Amino acid sequence: MRVHNGRLARSRFRLVLSLLAFNCDRLLGATTAQHGLTAGELMRGVGLFAAIAGILILFLVEFLWRPRLQPSTYRWLLFVGLLLLPITLLLGVTTTLFEETKTVGSCASCHVMDPFVNDMMDPESPTLAAEHFRNKWISDHQCYACHTTYGVHGTLAAKRDGFRHWWLYVTGTWNKPIQYSGSYPNSNCRACHEGTVKFEEVKSHQALWLDLETDRLSCFSCHGPPHPGPKEQEVSAGNQ
Amino acid sequence: MLLGKIRSNGLTRRQLLQWLRTISTGAVVVGPLSACRELWERQPVVPVESWHKAVCRFCGTGCGIQIGVSEGRVVDVKGDEYAHNKGRLCIKGLLNRDILYTRDRALYPMVRHNGELRRASWEEAMGLVAKKFREAIEQFGPDSVAFYGSGQLFTQESYTANKLFKAGIGTNNVEGNPRLCMASAASAYISVFGKDEPMGCYQDIEAADCFFIAGSNMAECHPVLWERVKDRKSSRPETRIIVVDPRRTSTAKGADLHLDILPGTDVALYNAMIHEFIGGGFVDQDMVEHYLSFKEGDSARDYQDLKRHVNRYAPKRVAATCGIAAKDISTAAFRFASSNSTMSFWTMGLNQQSQGTVANRLVMAMHLLTGQIGRPGATPFSLTGQPNAGGGVRDTGALAHALPNGRLVANPRDRREMEELWGLPEGQISAKSGYHTLALFEAMERGDVKCCLVMGTNPAQSLPNAERYRPAMDKTFLVVADAFHPTETTQFADVLLPAAMWAEKEGVFSQSERRYHLVPKVVDSPGEARSDLEILLELAERLGHEDLISSRTPEEVWEEWRKISAHSKYNFSGITYERLKRERGVLWPCPDKSHPGTCRRYVPGEDPLAHGNARFDFYGQPDGRAVVWLGDQHNPKEPTSAEFPLVLTTGRVLEHWHTMTITGKLEALQEIRPNFVQIHPADAARLGIRDGAEVIVRSRRGQAAFIAQVSETIRPGVVFTTFHSAKHLINRVTNDVYDPLSKQPEYKLCAVSIKPKGTTNASA
Repeated sequence: MRVHNGRLARSRFRLVLSLLAFNCDRLLGATTAQHGLTAGELMRGVGLFAAIAGILILFLVEFLWRPRLQPSTYRWLLFVGLLLLPITLLLGVTTTLFEETKTVGSCASCHVMDPFVNDMMDPESPTLAAEHFRNKWISDHQCYACHTTYGVHGTLAAKRDGFRHWWLYVTGTWNKPIQYSGSYPNSNCRACHEGTVKFEEVKSHQALWLDLETDRLSCFSCHGPPHPGPKEQEVSAGNQ
Repeated sequence: MLLGKIRSNGLTRRQLLQWLRTISTGAVVVGPLSACRELWERQPVVPVESWHKAVCRFCGTGCGIQIGVSEGRVVDVKGDEYAHNKGRLCIKGLLNRDILYTRDRALYPMVRHNGELRRASWEEAMGLVAKKFREAIEQFGPDSVAFYGSGQLFTQESYTANKLFKAGIGTNNVEGNPRLCMASAASAYISVFGKDEPMGCYQDIEAADCFFIAGSNMAECHPVLWERVKDRKSSRPETRIIVVDPRRTSTAKGADLHLDILPGTDVALYNAMIHEFIGGGFVDQDMVEHYLSFKEGDSARDYQDLKRHVNRYAPKRVAATCGIAAKDISTAAFRFASSNSTMSFWTMGLNQQSQGTVANRLVMAMHLLTGQIGRPGATPFSLTGQPNAGGGVRDTGALAHALPNGRLVANPRDRREMEELWGLPEGQISAKSGYHTLALFEAMERGDVKCCLVMGTNPAQSLPNAERYRPAMDKTFLVVADAFHPTETTQFADVLLPAAMWAEKEGVFSQSERRYHLVPKVVDSPGEARSDLEILLELAERLGHEDLISSRTPEEVWEEWRKISAHSKYNFSGITYERLKRERGVLWPCPDKSHPGTCRRYVPGEDPLAHGNARFDFYGQPDGRAVVWLGDQHNPKEPTSAEFPLVLTTGRVLEHWHTMTITGKLEALQEIRPNFVQIHPADAARLGIRDGAEVIVRSRRGQAAFIAQVSETIRPGVVFTTFHSAKHLINRVTNDVYDPLSKQPEYKLCAVSIKPKGTTNASA
């Protein structure tokens, strides 16, 4: 019975959240059903709740309840409505943004990314991205997984890149063909491959170790291309 | 003074402090921000001032690269995304970054005095070279001098050397190390199609459904092409890869079917596969009726003769000879013939044996008979080992028997044509073929060749039975132009000329698929080093041939050469220098400036030189038919015996190249030592050899010491080592017998013994 009550409570909670959300299917859709509620999804709900609650509180306090409220209660409610709930909303929005921009769909939302996303999902493409996708070596958020260096700095760098890409896109100032800026951090590849027998037995890896560790040479130099090259991008763009 | 000026402008002390505070705050905030571009986007680890389109210095894949230059030095190298390799490089390609800055670069000319090489001026060195050459020519005739070049020289350099010696000096003693690696393939292409060089291109890889890789460890020797083969397999998993190799190489590990054949028995295998094609009804009768002729030796044959011939090679009959299962031969034949498109790759495993030409011809015959040819993905494709063996040496005819663009010294009409194109009087080009490589060094041994200019190669290490030819080099007035000193060969030099290398000079390479492409000069050469072209031009001038050798820059020489090609079926007159600078190379034939280049030769509609609208126009042959040559498996030249019970085969590792004059000096590769000999555990146990033990490998010719690597990757009865190391010099052991047709030596098999060090007789 307690279990049943717990499930009921959770389902009610979800219902409330979904009512708060404008796109409830994405909020508590298949991903949630499979993996449980993620921090991003929770914070999205909390943020939306905070936004609505804040507006509601301010409306009630200012236009309906004010004559009946003690000055101290009035100040507290203003404090909640003007500061605490907006902060919660900000946290919710930030977390949602951080989480949402990890998805492949987010990257694909700019059409200039079409050649890359289409290639990744092409079952016959030989690129590294397609091979990793096809073989499910990276199960989720495939773009983000390879384009984010590990640690806090990596997350920030990824957000910086994402913001820059967005900026270039909306201002129409990107250069064709799209190319990777700077040196790719090999730690993204090494995190999974290093230490495996297949990796360690390759003498070239040992010989180039210092270069690989300092990103002077990219893993893609020998194992690429990770994505369609400039020529394939042109063909892909021409086909659309 | 400053304060006075401020006061005069009406600033108070308070305002001054406010200004200073604002400026310092701005400096603190803006300074690091403006310096830290990383805040906006990722930055390259290695700052580069300028990037330059070029080509890799190493193997015959001919990968496009971008060279990063800063402050007059090569500081970075990356794959060119616009080139055929799509940005990929192997470890050697990446280490192009460091090759110019290793130890032991030859920096100034040296002349031998009292047995020692001493520094000299260019004037002294070239004066001596010219004097000795002139004296030899005057006293003993033009055939007393020779040129021994390399598939690593630029096309302009090999062309100029060939012209200087054959048209100027009047000797056909022009040879080069391609004789050691590609002669059998060239000989077979010419005898089958009438013209040298493969007919397909790399794009065929993306269309092939079956790969037949024989005698080629592509994964280590042509790794970028191997990655492309793996891409095809990854995109289309039902693609079949068949590998024929005595070792379980990295390539064989990626195969669906590995035929670990005994060295030197592949002619039987190919005959058995043709037997299966005929028995299985896989022969393309349209090919037989319209596009093929049959030959055996000097005699014409027909298809019925072929059927009778291969009856002796049923898989069950050859299985024991080849050391593989009959059903595997049948499976290989079925997959080869039944696939939509089959592409063959081969290299030294076929070429470096005394039946090299026969083996090459039979692989080509397999494609011709099954019709696996001339379509996307269906082609016989030999790989080259050097960056310019094809364009530089084979196409320029810089070999003893050859003249430019497939012409032959032995053919009077070919000689006359070249005399006309070079503006020579009739009879200027000698009718006598020069010495092929081993014959050249034998002639040095006899004293018939007095002077030899060796350019860009290291024969003292790379010749088979190397010990034999060292005294010959010692006896000859040897001029060695090389980028490095010392090498095994420079120790025999009477004059050492320091050569610029790769991006220190400009020139054209051509790789396995007939792509001519340009390497620009992007940095200065060290010390007093000069390009090989400059050295040849000066020699020509000093020998009085400056009027003949009138093209004096890489661009001028190329323009002369491409115009000459227009008079042949190798026509690449459309590949102008401007195009080479702009494009990522062009595949010949390319007869005009607007032609995009040719992927598949002999196919009307694709090849601009092919006529008609039939399936093929094999225009290299007088009757327009490619030749299927009947060939028999011979017994090994040097069978194993009680004293020498094992078969030695040689090869390479991924990280090193040729005789290691370059890669052996790279810091990154110091821990990769090709000092091992692989031996099967059964043989090792029988001979009392432990893994890691020091052993001596010995043949009838010589011996060398190695570290035993007991491994199941080699089949019992066979041992393997590389030819890279001068310290562990296996070419003291290898056999200098050669293919009678191509004159290419048999590096790939000889009989040896192997014993723990200390238990063997030291004298070979």
